[in-house]
Amino acid sequence: MAYEAQYYPGATSVAENRRKHMSGKVEKLREVSDDDLTLVLGHRAPGSDYPSTHPPLAEMGEPECSVREMVEPTPGAKAGDRVRYVQFVDSMYNAPSTPYFRSYAAAINYRGVDPGTLSGRQVVEARERDMEEIAKFQLETEMTCPALASLRGATVHGHSLRLPEDGIMFDMLDRCRLENGVVIMHKDQVGRAIDKKVDFGKPMSEEEAAKRTTFYRVDNVAFRDDAEVIEWVHTVFEKRTAYGFKPE
Amino acid sequence: MADDRKRLFQKELEVKFTKEHGDNKMEGGEITDKKVTYYRLGVDQNPRKVEMKKAGQDMAAARGLVGYNPMMHCGGIPLGQRAITPSFISGTDIMVETDDLHYVNNAAMQQMWDDIRRTTIVGMDMAHETLEKRLGIEVTPETINHYLEVLNHALPGGAVVQEHMVETHPALVDDCYCKIFTGDDELADEIDSQFLIDINKQFPEDQAEALKEAIGKTTWQAAHIPTVVSRTTDGAQTSRWMAMQVGMSFIAAYNMCAGEAAVADLSYAAKHAGVISMGDMLPARRARGPNEPGGISFGHMSDIIQTSRVDAEDPAHVALEVVGGACMLYDQIWLGSYMSGGVGFTQYATAAYTNNILDDNLYYNVDYINDKYDGAATKGTDNKVKATMEVVKDIATESTIYGLENYEKYPTALEDHFGGSQRATVLSAAAGSATSLATGNGNAGLSAWYLSMYLHKEAHGRLGFFGYDLQDQCGATNVFSFQSDEGLPVELRGPNYPNYAMNVGHQGGYTAIASAAHAGRGDAWAVNPLIKVCFADDLLPFDFTAPRKEFGRGAIREFEPAGERSLIIPAK
Repeated sequence: MAYEAQYYPGATSVAENRRKHMSGKVEKLREVSDDDLTLVLGHRAPGSDYPSTHPPLAEMGEPECSVREMVEPTPGAKAGDRVRYVQFVDSMYNAPSTPYFRSYAAAINYRGVDPGTLSGRQVVEARERDMEEIAKFQLETEMTCPALASLRGATVHGHSLRLPEDGIMFDMLDRCRLENGVVIMHKDQVGRAIDKKVDFGKPMSEEEAAKRTTFYRVDNVAFRDDAEVIEWVHTVFEKRTAYGFKPE
Repeated sequence: MADDRKRLFQKELEVKFTKEHGDNKMEGGEITDKKVTYYRLGVDQNPRKVEMKKAGQDMAAARGLVGYNPMMHCGGIPLGQRAITPSFISGTDIMVETDDLHYVNNAAMQQMWDDIRRTTIVGMDMAHETLEKRLGIEVTPETINHYLEVLNHALPGGAVVQEHMVETHPALVDDCYCKIFTGDDELADEIDSQFLIDINKQFPEDQAEALKEAIGKTTWQAAHIPTVVSRTTDGAQTSRWMAMQVGMSFIAAYNMCAGEAAVADLSYAAKHAGVISMGDMLPARRARGPNEPGGISFGHMSDIIQTSRVDAEDPAHVALEVVGGACMLYDQIWLGSYMSGGVGFTQYATAAYTNNILDDNLYYNVDYINDKYDGAATKGTDNKVKATMEVVKDIATESTIYGLENYEKYPTALEDHFGGSQRATVLSAAAGSATSLATGNGNAGLSAWYLSMYLHKEAHGRLGFFGYDLQDQCGATNVFSFQSDEGLPVELRGPNYPNYAMNVGHQGGYTAIASAAHAGRGDAWAVNPLIKVCFADDLLPFDFTAPRKEFGRGAIREFEPAGERSLIIPAK
């Protein structure tokens, strides 16, 4: 019987969504073009070549190494791309993903990534074209709601602030707006103005966000109601504590 | 627990978030609203920011060099913040601008740290023995009183022994003095009251008895060098300054020959034997001498804060005052400035002592513990619940989920603590302190701290900055390992404990956990009875019984610090 990874405990919809995010088997909800993605990331001009900080691996004349031969380089590493980042901020008001689950999704499903997790933001660093693949995957799928998550290289505290009246997560630098029922970005992720408005589509309804979220909330799926998850956290805690307990 | 209990923070958040302050136009709404109108008025909505903006403009005009300009945020992009709102100091009705809780803007905070750094405790017994056995000099209460009179002239910088020499202006150093204390009631009765820290008067009877028993018939000097001296030099200067004046004062008071050989013995005994620094010296890589904040153990800090002697019946209050004082010292001053040179650390610290959010969580826990564990959170030793893993899990889980749900039910509480690190401090400090109160065991409290972090991270899928995400996921492993290179009781840990050296936002909480264990038991002190008595002194400029109130007085500019130099500065 083939092994099937059991990513997460719990019987609630939140736990189920967490399993789904980690598995990478998420629903695609929208299209973002390569040029639009390049624009909002802000690392290079759309259509331009990937700048390189290293020669491609094929030109480096690397020494023989059995491990190197076993591991196929990622496309970005093979081409010698520079390392760039994408950073998401996810609202605490039922945003589909949370920083840890964005990190787990990247680490489990992609190679050559360096995910960083903080309270308000989640950053993935990788070779530029590899990073773009991950960013596109997360932006186009149910991991992201354009109203409750956004790309922010700077000023991330909106994740815990109350939502503005239009339901678009507060952004001090006003990168995202609701226009004609869709969320647009008119600045890149660090807040620099871009040449066109990039359309990320309709926000999720409150009901849909509540259904798809990986965030436990007392007004949706309360953390204390997922007894299996709490028991599992207790088990991790006990084992780590006992590991360091040396009474002799 | 009933979910309809009145939250301690509700009134504060209603004033803070639904009233207009300055020109922020935030009037209206409810603290439970998930949506709000953002006016994006920038800094002009806040009186203190307006004052600072004008000061920056005046300064630039006067000196011909640009300075503070709030429009410089984010590389010239004006801030579009929702509102800049003032905060209440927890446990008080003082509302303050949060800029005024930066220690640079707050004289009370500066004085708290000055009063710790400029303090040293020096034993008298070895010096007295040297005088008696080596020189045959009789030491009596009268000679001790005379010595203290001489020392209180010399310690601030007055000359003794030598002819008139350079001296300090007494009005610049009027905060400098030395008192003594002893566990010997008979000797205490003979000491002039101006020189005595009277344990019987300063502490409740049971605490006084315990302290006197621990101190015994030994006698100690509680010395405070001038604030201005310690500001100009460093914490290591304190014992040096004390040592010089103590040696000279003994020579003068006991009519010794300054050159005789016995003076060397006396000097050693008087200057170095039985010296208690508030903080240990740090290793060279941190480059700090004794009496600097990085060396102050959580137990010492617990003892420096004095709430336990004036409100012993409310051990949760003791922990909350300790968290306020220690968050300010460790986060705002030590980590925020000494270790990093940063500014934002104030925000971590203030989360723990503003708007009654931590207070609400901890007092909820007290009710929970007292209901479930038969009064275990009230003061006492026979009422404690055994520190088992089950108890740690139960209290930490209930405390953490209660706190998390407050952030979910009250969006303004979430907005007040808009960074995960703030939330993590508050939730874990509540869980840890509560477990300490219930068990009387600080390491059980520390264990609860780490479980709280795990639960927080799992519930919200996020925790704090990297310090939380790293250190708090490995910390459980060293809680109960007391091997010398791996672990210590929480009272003996400090900012320089290996896993804690850069734990921003943690150290005030750890201190509260240490203090809560002892306050919960009704102990007179946490780790060092000498430090507890030394700071039981109403003459100190900072009131260590109420650090949060003092910070509030500093913020509204009512606190009068020591060490001011107006006497030697041209008046403007």
